[in-house]
Amino acid sequence: MEDKIINIKNLNYSYPDGTAALYDINLEIREGESLGIIGSNGAGKSTLLLHFNGILCGSGEIDIFGEKLTDKNLAQIRGAVGLVFQDPDSQLFMPTVSEDVGFGPRNMGMPEHEIDKSVHRALEEVDMLPALKRSSHHLSVGEKKRIAIATVLSMNPQILVMDEPSSNLDPKHRRELIVLLNRLKMTKIIATHDLDLIAQTCSRVVLMQEGKIIGGGSCPEFLAKAAALC
Amino acid sequence: MNHSFIDEHSHIDSFLNRLDARTKIISFFTLILFIILSRPDAYFGFALYTLLLIILIIFSQIPLSYILKRCLVVLPFILMTSALLPFGQQGESIVLMKVGDMSIRVAAAGWLIFKGVLIKGVLSIICLTLLTASTPFSELLAALEALKCPKIITMILSFMYRYVFLIEDEAMKMRRAMKSRSAGHSRWLQLKAIANMIGVLFIRSYERGETVYLAMCSRGFDGTIKRDHSFDFKKTDYAFATNLFVILIGIKFLDNIFGR
Repeated sequence: MEDKIINIKNLNYSYPDGTAALYDINLEIREGESLGIIGSNGAGKSTLLLHFNGILCGSGEIDIFGEKLTDKNLAQIRGAVGLVFQDPDSQLFMPTVSEDVGFGPRNMGMPEHEIDKSVHRALEEVDMLPALKRSSHHLSVGEKKRIAIATVLSMNPQILVMDEPSSNLDPKHRRELIVLLNRLKMTKIIATHDLDLIAQTCSRVVLMQEGKIIGGGSCPEFLAKAAALC
Repeated sequence: MNHSFIDEHSHIDSFLNRLDARTKIISFFTLILFIILSRPDAYFGFALYTLLLIILIIFSQIPLSYILKRCLVVLPFILMTSALLPFGQQGESIVLMKVGDMSIRVAAAGWLIFKGVLIKGVLSIICLTLLTASTPFSELLAALEALKCPKIITMILSFMYRYVFLIEDEAMKMRRAMKSRSAGHSRWLQLKAIANMIGVLFIRSYERGETVYLAMCSRGFDGTIKRDHSFDFKKTDYAFATNLFVILIGIKFLDNIFGR
C-alpha cells in the first residue's frame, strides 16, 4: 500500500465570527494520487485547503508526511505543500513575474544561482518562460493562472493544492490547463465544481456539503453519482 | 486590462535607460538638490539646467510630449502651494495687473520667490519624470532598497504598483454597473451610490489584502520581502555620475559669475 502523505482526523473549524465551516473531516491522501474535492459554493472546500499548509488551524489532527503541523515544521511544510489560490491576482503580488516565481525559493533560503534555475525550470514547466521579465498586471487570466502555478512549482513541492484552477478560463486555456495538470507528477489536490476537469485529472474524488465530507470514491463511478449534488 | 503608463518608456534601449538604477537615483537627486539650492533669481543657472535636461531627454529618447504631460499633471499642485507666496511678504511692492482704476499689487520679494519656486518645481518634476520613465519600476524599487531606503516604504510602493490598476478596474466595473441601473436617478442618489461604492471598494481592497497576505504566508513569508540585488556599476555609470557632478559645479560657477 502506498504511503499516506496527508492524514486528517476529526477536523473541525469555525471562522472567528462564529460561522462553522468544517465538521468532523476525516481524510487520507496517498503519495502520488490526484484527489478531487467537489461540492457546491460554500461547502467548505477552500477552508479545507487552507488547512493543508497551516494557514488555518482547526481542532483535530492533521498529519502531513507523518508529522503533526507545529510552529517548528511550518516553514518546511509550506515549502512542501504548494497552495495555488483561486484568484491569481492574490497569488501574484510582486512587481515582475521572475520576482514572484522566486519569492518562495528566496524565503526558503535557496542560494541566488539556484533560485534562478528554479524560476526558469518552473516557468518552463508551465510554458511561460517568455514572460520572465513582464509585470503580472499585463498578463491575461490564463497566463496569470499558469504563473500562479509556477510560483509554487519553483519551491519543488511534493503536494500541489489548487483552489478552483479552471475558474474564469476560456475553453482553450482550460484544455491547456488540463494538459499541464496531467503533466505534473506530484500528489495533487484539486478543489473545484468543474466536474469535467476532475474527470480528466483526478483518480479519486470526495464530495463536500455544508462543511462535511458526505461521500467519496474512485473518479468516474463516483462522479456520475455526485453530479446532481454540486 | 492593459495598463502600462508607469512603465511605458522604461524599456527603450537608450543611453539613460541602460544606466544602473542606483546611478540614476543618485545623479537625479543631486541634480534636484543643485536646482532647489539655487537663488530664486538665478535665471542664467535655470537656463543652463534646462539645457542640461533637454540634452538628457534627447539621450533618453523619451518623447518630450510625455514629459510635458507629466509636468502639466503636477503643475497645479506647485501653483496651489506657492500661490500665496507673493502676498505674505513685507517691503517694496510692485503692480502685477491693472484693470481700469484698480491695480493688483504684490510684494516684490514674494513675487521673486514665487517665480523661483515655480521654475525650480517644474525643473525638479522633469528630473523625476526622466528618472521614473527611464527605469522599470521593479528596478527602481530594488535600487531604492540597495540604497538603504526603509523596506516598509519599498514594500508599500511595490504593492501600490501591483494593485493600483486592479482597484481602478474594480472601481470602473462598479461605475458601469451603477450607470446601467441608474436610469432617471437624481444626482443626489447618484452621489449616495458613489459614496457607497467607495466604501465597498475599501472593504474589497482590505479583503484582497488579507488574501494576498495568506498567499504570501503559504510561500514562506516571514515579515520581510527578500529581493535579488544583482546590480553592476559599469564604467558608463561612473562616467555619467562624475560628468554630471562636474557639469553641475560648472553651472553653479558660471551662474555666480554671469548670473548676478
